[in-house]
Amino acid sequence: MKPAPFEFRAPVSLDGVLEEMREHGEAARILAGGQSLVPLMNLRMLQPSVLVSINHCKELSYIRAEEDGLVCGALARQWDVEHDQVAIQRCPLLVQALHHVGARSNRNRGTVCGSLAHADPLAELPAVALALDADMIAASSTGRRVVPAREFFVGALENSLRPDEILEAVRFPYAPTGSRSCFIELGNRNHGFAIAGVALEVTFGEDGRCRRARLAVMGGENIAKRASDTEVALAGSIIDEAAAREAGRLTASLVDVAGDFHADAAYRRELVAVLVERALIQVASGAAGRARSI
Amino acid sequence: MIAQGHPRSIGKHVPRREDPYLLRGEGRFLDDIAEPKDTLFLSFAMSPHAHARILAIRTDAASALPGVVAVYTAEDMARFVKPIRTVIEIQGYRASSRMVLAQDEVRFVGEHVAVVVAEDPYIAQDAAELIEVDYEPLPAAVRLEEADSESAPLVHEDIPRNVMFEAAFASPDFQAAFESAEMIVSETFRTGRVAGVPLEPRGCLALLDHVADSLLFYTSTQIPHLARTALSEILDFPEPRIRVVTPEVGGGFGTKAQFYTEEVVTAALALNLRRPIKWVQDRREELLTSIHARDHIYRLEAAIDGEGRIKALRTDLTTNAGAYSSYPFGCTLEATGGARMIVGPYDIRNYAFHTRAIATHTCPSGAYRGVAQPSCFMAIEGLMDRIGRKLGIDPATVRQRNLIRSEQLPYTNVLGVRYDTGSYEECLRRALERVDYWNFRKRQAEARDDDEVLRGIGICCFTEVAGAGSGGWRVRGLTKVPGFDSASIKVEPTGKVTLLVSQAAAGQGHLTTFAQVLADYLGVKVEDVFVSEGDTATAPYGTNTFASRGAVAAGGAVIKAAQSLRQKIARIAAFLLDVDVERVELTESKAIDKENPEKSVDFRQVAQIAYSMTSVALPQGESFGLEVVEMYDPPLATWPNAVHAVVVAVDRRTAKVSIEKYVVVHDSGRLINPMIVDGQIHGGIVQGIGEALMEQIVYDEDGQMLNANLLDYLMPMALDVPQIDISHIETPSIDALGGFKGVGEGGVIGAVPAVTNAVADALARTGANINRLPLRPSYLLREMRRRQLAVDGDRK
Repeated sequence: MKPAPFEFRAPVSLDGVLEEMREHGEAARILAGGQSLVPLMNLRMLQPSVLVSINHCKELSYIRAEEDGLVCGALARQWDVEHDQVAIQRCPLLVQALHHVGARSNRNRGTVCGSLAHADPLAELPAVALALDADMIAASSTGRRVVPAREFFVGALENSLRPDEILEAVRFPYAPTGSRSCFIELGNRNHGFAIAGVALEVTFGEDGRCRRARLAVMGGENIAKRASDTEVALAGSIIDEAAAREAGRLTASLVDVAGDFHADAAYRRELVAVLVERALIQVASGAAGRARSI
Repeated sequence: MIAQGHPRSIGKHVPRREDPYLLRGEGRFLDDIAEPKDTLFLSFAMSPHAHARILAIRTDAASALPGVVAVYTAEDMARFVKPIRTVIEIQGYRASSRMVLAQDEVRFVGEHVAVVVAEDPYIAQDAAELIEVDYEPLPAAVRLEEADSESAPLVHEDIPRNVMFEAAFASPDFQAAFESAEMIVSETFRTGRVAGVPLEPRGCLALLDHVADSLLFYTSTQIPHLARTALSEILDFPEPRIRVVTPEVGGGFGTKAQFYTEEVVTAALALNLRRPIKWVQDRREELLTSIHARDHIYRLEAAIDGEGRIKALRTDLTTNAGAYSSYPFGCTLEATGGARMIVGPYDIRNYAFHTRAIATHTCPSGAYRGVAQPSCFMAIEGLMDRIGRKLGIDPATVRQRNLIRSEQLPYTNVLGVRYDTGSYEECLRRALERVDYWNFRKRQAEARDDDEVLRGIGICCFTEVAGAGSGGWRVRGLTKVPGFDSASIKVEPTGKVTLLVSQAAAGQGHLTTFAQVLADYLGVKVEDVFVSEGDTATAPYGTNTFASRGAVAAGGAVIKAAQSLRQKIARIAAFLLDVDVERVELTESKAIDKENPEKSVDFRQVAQIAYSMTSVALPQGESFGLEVVEMYDPPLATWPNAVHAVVVAVDRRTAKVSIEKYVVVHDSGRLINPMIVDGQIHGGIVQGIGEALMEQIVYDEDGQMLNANLLDYLMPMALDVPQIDISHIETPSIDALGGFKGVGEGGVIGAVPAVTNAVADALARTGANINRLPLRPSYLLREMRRRQLAVDGDRK
């Protein structure tokens, strides 16, 4: 487990990073927390010829409560976001999902933007970004653009950044008044990659009906997917046991699931249905779930 | 004999001497040893095929890479290395030879075909990727079920039908008893392929002493003495000129109780290139090439009476040997172990087995903690539950009816093996009480069909073969495994004591426990004893550390050596105290006059005389020095026993298993350090939970390992481990010195069957029959669904 040879760059400013990316493009990878990238390099599954560390760019290390959402800079560590008071109060789904990301030592180092850019099919944060329609802020030496989450995630380990761009920040919209959220997943063991998982936020009207549901599901081969049909079906309904079960069934029929040696496709599909159902029951009952976490 | 007045160290929670430096990160493991500046590093090119003919190997590009010193293939190595041939003297065994690099043919993915020697490990790995091999892929026999057939591709041309080992046994009255029984209960159990996966992968560092032309060989192994002998034979290099040293070893679990090809290559190249050579394995290589285990199929048939008593038992066992016989245990260890140990703590008087080890195009299998006992007890304990279900008798009662009773001990089992002492009934009684068994059964009976959670309880009663002496290894044909262990004691001129033991710890706390044993048996303060082991230049020869033998074999050797040295100390002390030697008692590093305890001399005073460092002359007839070496050959085996009882909850809709209660009642004879014993049990249980619920090495049909990394090879982590309630019964062995029975493997042996039975019990009300590992949710749900479909089909 020795990586293939690579050049190492550690600019101290965003401009410096963008300059490196302009020069090296496809051949370069950004090193943020390195919790996924470094093992893959050690296995020689990734062999970038230039590694551009952003760890010395202080300007990217921020968590900002802006008017229209919580903005995490490219160097915002997962542990810091998980314990940020604004995140806890106003972005509960993000915080719930972060409990499931790696172990504490991974979250100390790992970044929110890094996990998003890595786009692992079984990573929690892409599901949250999709469910909440987060804004991905891409930067290059020629300027900035905002990419909606739905357009950012292309496939497994694939995003829509151009070779000269980096994910400079992500903006998660605040949870609307009257909303409750839930992130649940289940794996063969109680820590590490899940077999399937669900990110859900439901906004309830004063009549107790679901005004708006936001739901993304992860389950294998491909990147997490937004379950739009389920959201439409739930809008305006009372979320009771029957509705939750039906929503689970519907969602399971919509998503792509993988069959592999961790779990066959039939199991994953069934699990998606159960997790969606349970997430809905949990938000409908107002129960606060806290994942066991290490 | 321990002196009456001596404050006992055995049985105390003495804090581990190893902990302060290990917890501070100061442990010196193989890769922490500073290598000399001119050290060269190895990287192996591995076969990407499970079975292929090697047509050509081109090493030019690799050799041309700056920093590469040499590249070797099998042809080059054959000039100075003999093949490894595992000799096992047992009927039905067919030996296979293995060259340290594959010659002409590769037989599993990961088998080494060439080795690069380079100036740093990065360059070595870069170069290994540049080696080009032309292969002609051949059909592979990957799965046990496929390899075990007339039409399967052969792994070795000279081993027909891939049967590397086959043996059978039937007790004299077996057939009659089997045929006359009231009914037969049968089941097939399939266990999953797993591995020991020590935290520290393997590695070695070979250094030459140019003056003496000798080899200093550091290796992360459990068997330094056996490795030294093997190295000498395979390299044809004089054994006295080889010194094997085990640094701190980061876990072994049997994985490192084998001697491996990389060790030979490292040593051979150091001798050949006359440069220090270092090789450290990475995790992928560890999972691809360190021994695997437990790929077993048990077909059991029990002839029973109406009360659930087993009148006759038949075992048909097939084990997956992998591509080669590993060294020194070969491919027979699991096959003989599973077939022989399965009768366990039960009074089974009629028994027959047929057992085989089948070669496949996969990584060689070997001795992993528990060897075949987690699987054979999963089979017999699973059968006990099925007998109960068939007859409508509670499975705990079925066990009670079949257990060997205390009054039957000492007991000679149907295979002629003696159990000297044990506590089978008492362990079960206490485990049922602590797990609140009968109340659980009452609550379980009230469970409803629409409950979201299914609860079950599982029991495993077992005996464990431990501390085997020479007889125990001979019975299984393992002539290269000596069986004895040894201890060397030196009371130094200052009166402090050096204890050298023939063992090599991989985390067991030997520096603490052997000091405790010596303290009591020599009458010395525990803090006056310094323990050292794992260096063949200083430690006496022995069988080393595996198969739960440390406490029994080396503990016995320490006792034997202490008994012999204390006589000399007592004689010199008697002379100094001017009393008869019978009146001298050794306690707390002093020799006292029993009849006048104020009168004493300390060990230092005695040692000063023994080493001729005082004006008092040595008594006439005594020799100089205070040292002794003793070998101890333990009995055929010692027999720890235990009961594990586990309550699980299974989510009916996701089939996810949670362990709600875990109870262990354990009897490993006399405990030396209860804290260390509990640690052994905890660790074993965690490995057993992994084996039962999640771990599995997955080969696809072409023989590619799909999960040679720790992201995909799932081992339990903190959140998967329940609170474990351990209580001890101490029934000392009467056959082994000290009464110790061994404890290294009991945790995993009990955990796999108990967890499996608990899950099977929980799912029994759905009609699912759970008989294979691992118990992953997808498998469990599939079994529940299959049963549901069958029920629905019947209704239509």
